[in-house]
Amino acid sequence: MIELQGIRKSYQSGAQSLEVLKGIDCTIHKGELVAIMGSSGSGKSTMLNVLGLLDDFDGGSYLLDGNDMGGLSERQAARYRSEFLGFVFQSFNLIGYKTALENAALPLYYQGVSRKERQKQALHYLTKVGLADWAEHLPNQMSGGQKQRVAIARALIANPRVILADEPTGALDSVTSDEVMNLLKDINREGITIVVVTHESEIAAQCDRIIRLKDGRIEDPKAQDDV
Amino acid sequence: MMFDRDAWLEIFHTVLSNPLRTGLTGLSIALGIFILVVMQGLGSGLETGVANTFGDDAANLMQVRTGNAQLAFRGRKPNRRVELHNQDEQAMKEQVDSVPAWSRLVFRWGSTVRYSNQQGSYNVRGVDPDQREIGQVSLTAGRFISPLDLAENRKVAVLGAQLVEDLFPKGTEAAAVVGEFIQLRGIQFAVVGAFDQAGSRWENRSVYVPFSTAQKLFQNDDVVSRVSIGTGDAAIEDTRDASAGLISWLKNRLVVHPDDAEGVWVDNRNEEAEMFRQIFSGIRLFVWFVGLMTLLAGAMGVANIMAIVVRERTKEIGVRKALGATSNAIVGQIIQEAVFLMLVSGCVGLLAGTWLLHGIAPMVQHEFFSNPRVDFSSALLALGILIFVGVVSAIGPAVRAVTIRPVEALRDE
Repeated sequence: MIELQGIRKSYQSGAQSLEVLKGIDCTIHKGELVAIMGSSGSGKSTMLNVLGLLDDFDGGSYLLDGNDMGGLSERQAARYRSEFLGFVFQSFNLIGYKTALENAALPLYYQGVSRKERQKQALHYLTKVGLADWAEHLPNQMSGGQKQRVAIARALIANPRVILADEPTGALDSVTSDEVMNLLKDINREGITIVVVTHESEIAAQCDRIIRLKDGRIEDPKAQDDV
Repeated sequence: MMFDRDAWLEIFHTVLSNPLRTGLTGLSIALGIFILVVMQGLGSGLETGVANTFGDDAANLMQVRTGNAQLAFRGRKPNRRVELHNQDEQAMKEQVDSVPAWSRLVFRWGSTVRYSNQQGSYNVRGVDPDQREIGQVSLTAGRFISPLDLAENRKVAVLGAQLVEDLFPKGTEAAAVVGEFIQLRGIQFAVVGAFDQAGSRWENRSVYVPFSTAQKLFQNDDVVSRVSIGTGDAAIEDTRDASAGLISWLKNRLVVHPDDAEGVWVDNRNEEAEMFRQIFSGIRLFVWFVGLMTLLAGAMGVANIMAIVVRERTKEIGVRKALGATSNAIVGQIIQEAVFLMLVSGCVGLLAGTWLLHGIAPMVQHEFFSNPRVDFSSALLALGILIFVGVVSAIGPAVRAVTIRPVEALRDE
């Protein structure tokens, strides 16, 4: 599903160039639930941004479901994002003035799906994450766990091949964290590839495989332990 | 995209999510359009008012008059009265090429006019039939002075609206006075017509009678008080030349020194009219300039607000991009928001301004101010400018929104 070879990425800060990814090689297979771990500054967020086509890379190659993601225009990137990828963020990133239903339906709006169909789909996925009764609520009327579940419904609605979750439990207490992780595992069992970036080992331990990043490199590829 | 219901819902959501800020921005635009509309209206009101006051006669007109010669000339003493007699007028008429309209006039100010037991003091004017065109007399009943009236020295009169109102029983229609008889300076005249010069009380206190009749009955000489010459659609330069030629011919004929400023003169109304035209086109230009500058200030407000909106919504725009929004969708949304804001508040200003002009202005009638209005094309132009300014003011913020990279927007800090 995801094949990275020699991915490099550096940021320009002032006159200095800071290399954040120094050649990442890894393969994530279809249907895997993978955790990316690393301390802050290890490059794990950058790697997620590259995977999510939210940021470009300087060298190496990236194949997503067999498609080359090198040198995409912004328009092409937007299309691949909308067709292949779903995002779950640490701080949920719901739009505050939209209801849970509208938030969940937003990706379909950018795919040009009719309003009626969008709402039907959104309700379906809200039901799936157990929030059918909360469809008309605004984000600020919901708990953190509920917001994250709306965000997951939003990530699922476009029927993506891969869900990228950036610290999905980072803002949640342990009970809610478990709920969210269980939901992600359920989704994974239906065949959707999931990549979770986390610094919590309890969360990482629930995944099929852990990729550890250190200083922009994968730490001892052979040690990529199956849990 | 422009007529997509979802796009509009997005706009309503975002515009209404901060009502105070939206309201204040809208107010600045509404105020700009309001000022533009009201100033336009006041300008047009001033123009109509001035035109009414000075517009008793047509603008394409020259008037020949005589006065007191100030300078001694060819044995004539200074400070003597110069008179234009019938044979001078005849000779003058032969001098000029055919003109569109020509009327001799004599005046009898403060003439007593009587009908039944009502009487009052009015102005009697002896005129030629062309005076109807020259004075832009708008008849409300009957006819004007005819060539036959002059040929037969008929005792017929055309009454101004004020006379009809004063002398005849209350509520008498203009048509009803035709055929009645009035006493004019003690002589009986048949009323053949009535007229009403809206907005001119002076004109409406006048009675027109045939020139020949007036000269014969009310004067013991054959002096012509004034000659009015209609110039039709002659160019202003031609009328200037014609009036200069006429004045030198008249000075020679009436033995007036060429440098004498008072003995005889020709009023070229074309030049006055041209002057007013220029003044008013200047005023119009000024009004548009001030209006557009006010509008520009408002537009800068909108650009400013949109910049703030983009900054505030950096994260939201990043999320939208992550969810598949293209740059075009983002730019489109921001420009639509700006245009929407401009249009709605612009229409509010337009309506308020129009309402003010139509509702309040009739209460402030003044000699130099009447009937202010905003014409439809100006209103459309203003709206067009608004849309244009709306798009322009949104371009900067929209470009900034496009350059937002989702990765920066979504960074949790």
